Amino acid sequence: MGAYVARRAAGAVPLLFLISVAIFAILRAVPGGPLAMYAGDPTVRDEDLARLERALGLDQPLPLQYLAWLVRFAVGDWGYSLASSQPVLGLVGERLPNTLLLMGTVYLVTLALAIPVAVVAATRQYSVLDHLITGATFAAYALPTFWLGLLLILTFGLQLGWLPLGGMTTPGGDGDLVDRLRHLVLPVVTLSLPGIAHYVRYLRASLLETIGQDYVRTARAKGLGEHAVLRGHALRNAAIPLVTLAALELPELFVGALVTEQIFGWPGMGRLFWDAATRADYPVLMSLLTVAAALIILANLVADLLYAAIDPRIRVGA
Amino acid sequence: MIRTAAARLAALFAAIAVLLGACAPAPAIPAPATPAPVRGGTLVFALSQEPPFLLPGYTTQTAAGVILNTVFDGLTGIDPEGNYIAILAKQVPSLANGGVKMLAGGRMAVTYDLVDGVRWADGSPFTSADVKFTWELFMKDSRVVSREGYDLIESIDTPTPVQAVVNYRQLYAPFLTRFGAILPKAVLEKEADLTKAAFARLPMGTGPFKVTEFVAGDHVTVERNPQYRNKERPYLDRIIFRIVPSKDAAVAQLKAAEVDGVWSLTEAQVPDIEKNPAIRVLTAPSATVERIELNQAKPGDPADPRIRHPVLGDRAVRRALNLATPKQQIIDKLLFGRAKVGTSPIALGWASPKGLTQEAYDSALAAKVLDDAGWVKGADGIRSKGGVRASITITTTTDDRLREQVQQILVDEWRRIGVALSIKNMPSSVLLSNSWTGGDPRKRGNFDAVLYASTPQVDPHTTMSQRYTSSSIPTAANSGLGQNFTRFSNSEADAAINEAGLTADPTRRADLYAKALRLLNEDVAIIWLYDRQSIDAFRSNVGGVTGNAWLAATYNAADWWIKR
Repeated sequence: MGAYVARRAAGAVPLLFLISVAIFAILRAVPGGPLAMYAGDPTVRDEDLARLERALGLDQPLPLQYLAWLVRFAVGDWGYSLASSQPVLGLVGERLPNTLLLMGTVYLVTLALAIPVAVVAATRQYSVLDHLITGATFAAYALPTFWLGLLLILTFGLQLGWLPLGGMTTPGGDGDLVDRLRHLVLPVVTLSLPGIAHYVRYLRASLLETIGQDYVRTARAKGLGEHAVLRGHALRNAAIPLVTLAALELPELFVGALVTEQIFGWPGMGRLFWDAATRADYPVLMSLLTVAAALIILANLVADLLYAAIDPRIRVGA
Repeated sequence: MIRTAAARLAALFAAIAVLLGACAPAPAIPAPATPAPVRGGTLVFALSQEPPFLLPGYTTQTAAGVILNTVFDGLTGIDPEGNYIAILAKQVPSLANGGVKMLAGGRMAVTYDLVDGVRWADGSPFTSADVKFTWELFMKDSRVVSREGYDLIESIDTPTPVQAVVNYRQLYAPFLTRFGAILPKAVLEKEADLTKAAFARLPMGTGPFKVTEFVAGDHVTVERNPQYRNKERPYLDRIIFRIVPSKDAAVAQLKAAEVDGVWSLTEAQVPDIEKNPAIRVLTAPSATVERIELNQAKPGDPADPRIRHPVLGDRAVRRALNLATPKQQIIDKLLFGRAKVGTSPIALGWASPKGLTQEAYDSALAAKVLDDAGWVKGADGIRSKGGVRASITITTTTDDRLREQVQQILVDEWRRIGVALSIKNMPSSVLLSNSWTGGDPRKRGNFDAVLYASTPQVDPHTTMSQRYTSSSIPTAANSGLGQNFTRFSNSEADAAINEAGLTADPTRRADLYAKALRLLNEDVAIIWLYDRQSIDAFRSNVGGVTGNAWLAATYNAADWWIKR
């Protein structure tokens, strides 16, 4: 198992290298660039642009720019933002806790609600409740987050006045726990609903398949209660695809939620990425995208290991 | 998963907001009977963009300017009418008051007498050394965005702490636009890299407020500067600039009184909120002019300006297209009346040409002009002349709903007079990149008609010389310098603009610009569509806000107040 992990990790290094080359090439192929924001300004003359290009090192040959980034990134130096001159690692440090709070809560809420709902739906297949749940999950799955987010803001924030409309804390307030929790509710609901729907669809299908298996019938025939059958036999097997799914979504804890963070003004990683993308802030984009790629590779490895842990029939590295 | 369709989503948001807003009972807050200023309190102002840092001269981002207005002062400033006013200087230097002296060899000296007793927010005195330092910094630091004008300064003398004499190497007409913010020497002279210094996020100046908190992505707080020279101001204790990226979410927050003001709304948002008695919409004219530029050279990559455009090279066609452009209808239908018909690139200010117009919408006359010029309608309704079909393309930025709607109107209207118009849009990162090597079709001359907006400074010289002189036509020979995209070429206009740049008297300069712009309009080089307005909105318990065409509304934040 240790050797297997080491082998996978070693294989990830050249893969990440290729990914970072691809990211660099794509970023530079996009027209515009970090100085495009000055294009409409009458006082910014061509000589000013040429000077800024030199100052930011954008006049260097592209392979050299890539190598300079790679050498620094390899030793943990993520460079400086072209737009704000802040160290990229510092920018991430400012945003990551906020995104972890939001996405972590979403992750837990999603799993905590999806599993019981799926079990209810699967054990009462074709009942009215099952039909209701199936209908609701399809609807929730189809809702675009920008629309749902705005609808929730207008309903629960503006019309009913129960919850704050945006941000992480009340401006000028002391930002105590209750205030923070209140601000967390609407973005978490916005992001959780589609997630719950997604998991319920998977887990319900998986459970139905398992419940029909011979060993479940055997368990029932042994005289085990419905509860024990479900928990000890059906759910454990049915959960395997769910684990893969949940592990593969772990990188989202780092990446954040692009659209939802925009609508709710949540100062997270999604916004950092969006701002960097609109400003063609290459060092920020390079580091964020490469780290996200690394996390996805890592999540795949974790999924494989968890798979083996849950299902004894699977042996990693065999 | 970057959503390139962000603009389309925004339009959808707006639609939902209107729908839901219509059924929301508006909380009735009576306007105060006597709007007397109130002292103290916190105002929350929603900004849709986050400034990367807060250093004047190091960013041109307008959102940064909104905050910087409250922290830094210039030697001179601009009032809402576009006139220069003295701020840290006692008076606006001019030839008449002796502040501007023409010297031998075409050089120029500008003397600023500084207001006495001004202190920085940390209590240290503001002196002429700070003025000199600001110039030195701008010339030394390669991260400063523009050195325009500053690079024409030979030296700055500081005979006394309250007098700075700026010696220009040559006559520099727009000198009053320089020194729009002075930076503190004592705090900054030891910084090796100012953009990385703590000051870049938490600056202080001589303005009414100083920045006390910068929470990335969330908010920037400015608090009253106790050293502010006017002891009666500011009224507010603090302003919290809250970053709200979605403008529709910002409007919802304004309705819920979660924020007290919102910066920069779109015209489409106005009808929904202006009926709300608790909200006051503040529209200020702006210098931004939306226009259709018509290429007079045959499109090519790059175009050769000596070869005329087969269709648009004919002045009669350009005149007809302007006559067939229903500007007022576009303003009424698409901008909800919140704009003014365009007449020139200099919509406002002392240099705005008085009485200059462009022919108003008259479709019948447009058809007649084309008939007279020999453009004959074919069987499909499209005109041609000498085997050339009157078929052109129009280009604008992708994902801009308003501009796409304008294009649709133009396709219909221009077809009615026998000109076929097809749409070929491009991302703004290409179309507006202003980059010769990056393939900006305007620079390369590879377009027929292009729809976009441009904003001149209060001193229009840079705009005039870069956009409307023949030496500013980008070609392969000059490596694509200049922004005369229409390839308009008129030696009289060239002479007038060049002379204005070498003239110190503003009245004479205004006349010279007006002459060049009249020639530009006689040539119908550009269809001036409309002068855009800047739209902000405030809760009606906020007072003292006036708006300024040249600066963000916060230019007079010292006078703002809020009644709780």
